[in-house]
Amino acid sequence: MCETCGCHQPREIELNRDILSENNRIAEHNRGFFKEKKILCFNMVSSPGSGKTTLLEKTITAMNHDEKLFVIEGDQQTTMDADRIEKAGAPAIQINTGSGCHLDAHMIHEALEKMEVKDHSILFIENVGNLVCPALFDLGEKKRVLMISVTEGDDKPLKYPYMFSSSHLCLINKIDLLPYVEFDIEKFKEYALIVNPDLKFIPVSAKTGDGLEKWTNFIYDLRSTISSDL
Amino acid sequence: MHELSLAWDVIEMISHEAEERRLKAIYEIRIEIGLISGVEADTFSSVLDMIRGKTILEQARIDIIRTPGKGRCSTCNLEFLMQDLFTLCPRCGSIPSSILSGKEFRVLSLQAD
Ligand SMILES: Nc1nc2c(ncn2[C@@H]2O[C@H](COP(=O)(O)OP(=O)(O)O)[C@@H](O)[C@H]2O)c(=O)[nH]1
Ligand SMILES: [Mg+2]
Ligand SMILES: [Zn+2]
Repeated sequence: MCETCGCHQPREIELNRDILSENNRIAEHNRGFFKEKKILCFNMVSSPGSGKTTLLEKTITAMNHDEKLFVIEGDQQTTMDADRIEKAGAPAIQINTGSGCHLDAHMIHEALEKMEVKDHSILFIENVGNLVCPALFDLGEKKRVLMISVTEGDDKPLKYPYMFSSSHLCLINKIDLLPYVEFDIEKFKEYALIVNPDLKFIPVSAKTGDGLEKWTNFIYDLRSTISSDL
Repeated sequence: MHELSLAWDVIEMISHEAEERRLKAIYEIRIEIGLISGVEADTFSSVLDMIRGKTILEQARIDIIRTPGKGRCSTCNLEFLMQDLFTLCPRCGSIPSSILSGKEFRVLSLQAD
């Protein structure tokens, strides 16, 4: 109420508050936790079926003897991917998002309370298969790894620029199928580099193991920078 | 569709704010959405409309401010408008070195009692 005449004057309240600020706050909290425990965390994003779980299975087989590996699996339904990972030899926890199309920092925080991720380990988070929604949600990861398979077409960067602009590494998967599909790797890279000039690329085949060593070397290199971080 | 969970985040943020400031009614909320923020303004606005019944925002007028995308050329320094993340410098065709605006996604202000 206005004091002089009693007319109705609502208050104007300035907020200027980022809508993603709550997610970002929890993501920073997760990041602090990883840093303290020297855990190397990857957020793996792709369309459904690009080959994230297959690559993780191969990665676990390749690295299990000298690294402690953990996996958080995000899917709308089922624990099938977590079961596949456990079978490959790494502890896994499944988050079912139901109708939700992405993981957020809070879900990761909760998963970390349920699964004890050991110090000096490597944690892979397999995000829900979706190239749109997960782009905006920081989980606290060290690197965001985007996987595109060659069967999806080389125009993907044009259609999903936000995911490309927020990722650090792009794995180009299913290169064993290159002879059978139209996928121009050079054109693909050119599109992607417009929105993200710093993006790195590693072509792989999770099926044949081609390129797998480049990927595991990428992980080992980061591993050593984290271990020497004081 | 991340707009749905983001719309819930706004409702939660404002409910919390209303409690803290002891607000009884919210008449207007102003939300800024940058054109290259990754949030579809029309989708966001219609899902917020769908879910705000019986929440603190039920009666509020929702004012969405769309901020244009703007970048600075990495080669010639020109400031130019960006329709999307692929917009190149209209003078020399280079990519922008920095995005000056269009990434915003925030609640600017409320009118409330
Ligand atoms: N040809 C071929 N198929 C693959 C490759 N990687 C994965 N796949 C197949 O693609 C399908 C989806 O793989 P999956 O790992 O479940 O994908 P996700 O949804 O990203 O976890 C499965 O049938 C895999 O066998 C690959 O490198 N080459
Ligand atoms: Mg999977
Ligand atoms: Zn220029």
